[in-house]
Amino acid sequence: MASVKIRNVEKSYGSLKVIHGVDIDVEDHEFVVLVGPSGCGKSTLLRMIAGLETISGGDILIGDKVVNDIPPRDRDIAMVFQNYALYPHMSIFDNMGFSLKLRKRPRSEIEEKVLEAADILNLRPYLGRSPGQLSGGQRQRVAMGRALVRDARVFLFDEPLSNLDAKLRVVMRTEIKALHQRLQTTSVYVTHDQIEAMTMADRIVVMNAGRVEQIGAPLDLYDSPANLFVAGFLGSPSMNFIKGRFRRDGGRAHVFCDDGTALPVPAVSDAANDQPVVVGIRPEHLCLAKDGAGVAATVDVVEPTGANIELFVELAGERVCAVFGERHPFRPGEKIALTWKLEKVHLFDSNSGDRI
Amino acid sequence: MPTKLKKSLIYWAFLSPLVVIILFPFAVMFVTAVRPRDELFVYPPRWGFSEFRWGNFAEMWVKTNFGEALFNSLYVSVLSTVLALVLSIPAAYALSRYRFRGKGAYRTFLLMTQMMSPIVLVLGLFRLMVAFGMVDNLNSLVLTYAAFNMAFTIWMLQSYFSTIPRDLEEAAWIDGASHLNSLIRIFLPLAVPAMAVTAIFSFINGWNEFVLALTMIRSSDDFTLPVQIYSQVAGRYQVEWHHVMAGTVLATVPVAIVFSWLQKYLIRGMALGAVK
Repeated sequence: MASVKIRNVEKSYGSLKVIHGVDIDVEDHEFVVLVGPSGCGKSTLLRMIAGLETISGGDILIGDKVVNDIPPRDRDIAMVFQNYALYPHMSIFDNMGFSLKLRKRPRSEIEEKVLEAADILNLRPYLGRSPGQLSGGQRQRVAMGRALVRDARVFLFDEPLSNLDAKLRVVMRTEIKALHQRLQTTSVYVTHDQIEAMTMADRIVVMNAGRVEQIGAPLDLYDSPANLFVAGFLGSPSMNFIKGRFRRDGGRAHVFCDDGTALPVPAVSDAANDQPVVVGIRPEHLCLAKDGAGVAATVDVVEPTGANIELFVELAGERVCAVFGERHPFRPGEKIALTWKLEKVHLFDSNSGDRI
Repeated sequence: MPTKLKKSLIYWAFLSPLVVIILFPFAVMFVTAVRPRDELFVYPPRWGFSEFRWGNFAEMWVKTNFGEALFNSLYVSVLSTVLALVLSIPAAYALSRYRFRGKGAYRTFLLMTQMMSPIVLVLGLFRLMVAFGMVDNLNSLVLTYAAFNMAFTIWMLQSYFSTIPRDLEEAAWIDGASHLNSLIRIFLPLAVPAMAVTAIFSFINGWNEFVLALTMIRSSDDFTLPVQIYSQVAGRYQVEWHHVMAGTVLATVPVAIVFSWLQKYLIRGMALGAVK
């Protein structure tokens, strides 16, 4: 096992810069997820760690060694590709044993290692088949198995679950996490799916437009996002944003929206009076107000998901989502009042998007 | 009548004129090749004949030196195909995998060479071979056939190579393979269908080529099949048509059979890369 250090790494294609000086430290045994919208540079960064893309600036270290100019085969890494990249003309056994065969290991050792990996992944009955005869989930497991037999120092995953159907994705997600807990191999995992990131990661790196927006443990990012992008990206349904102006008033504070609605917010000391801000409240933090208190809202759409009711309401001229565990009989057009705990409110500067 | 059968019959009715045009020369060739010599020119011409003479083939084989010409044709076709493939595979690989300056120009150049008829170039090629001292040498044909086929083979291989996912090679590199190793163990085995198709195409081109062979080869010992058969007709007082036709049957029918058997692969290969 080894740590991975990314030091001010840049990537340009000609004059087009796609990664702008990224710094990430992946500790030994850690499971780090790179997450972001498509085109944010997360896959490029992973491919740079693998040695499949050249590095335009900065350094990448695996262990304590700079690997910038070391070819992929000498980096001692294993990678699981999005489309699995199984060799179609080889049996599952040969697919999994290919790396050992290239290293000229004895036949008995190859067999032992492949069978061991096959047992972990329940692939033993399929070893004689070719990749074309397996289902998507099985192929995915073979791709994992190919990485497992290697005892590589770092595992790299490039959106490995995105070709699976929703149900299988959840199953494999748990399997990969369980596998990591067992093997403790340093892993870098790329995905655009924030739920995958939240559920699997020891730490999440949120990327956007070739820059790192925030790095931290999943719940830290969820509870205190550094800016509007991270706040909006993590969480499903995503955080509600309402624009307004901050006004302090004794020990209390409100944000006044354009239509005059006053939203109670914490009296943070860093915000100035009349400063344009964005109020962020997660859907699950909205509650029904009692006895005429709270902020008025009009029910727009009701979406029961079974476990919850997702309610879309019109509040201060914006469409806002609220999630309730209890089964309230809401009707479209109904007038309700919503309230929230002040400590659950996030405030962001309107101009920079940074957390206040 | 079931609609499917009806459809088939209609299609065949439409196709039948084409079938007649394609098969007629073969029919004439065959009935001429197996009839006795004194029944060659009868009026009015007729399909039937009194005696089925397979012996014509044996006579022709000896008299026209067919075996040697067959060997020459095989030599030229096989070697030119191998040479074209050996040189095209790296070129096609580079075109499909790497970015380099002048890539677009190179591809256009390949296409342009296809627009020129070899007949236009035949005089220039002859002088080139004179300069190389290769006139009257089968290897001159190997070189020129390979060169003429390469534009097509590179183009064709490149479009197939582009359909082989890059991830497979990258996975092999990460598994510990060198570039060469991944090419040999992963890439080329997957490219076999395309290589087979281009090889067939190149072989048939070499097998059928006439003008260059007629120009470059002087001595009858080195004649390829088309030139050898032609020499049985051109500039003779008496043409032994039954031998000519027996030779033509032997030179075309085996290749025609192989070609029609392989044509589904050829068409599949040609359509490759058209739809991703």
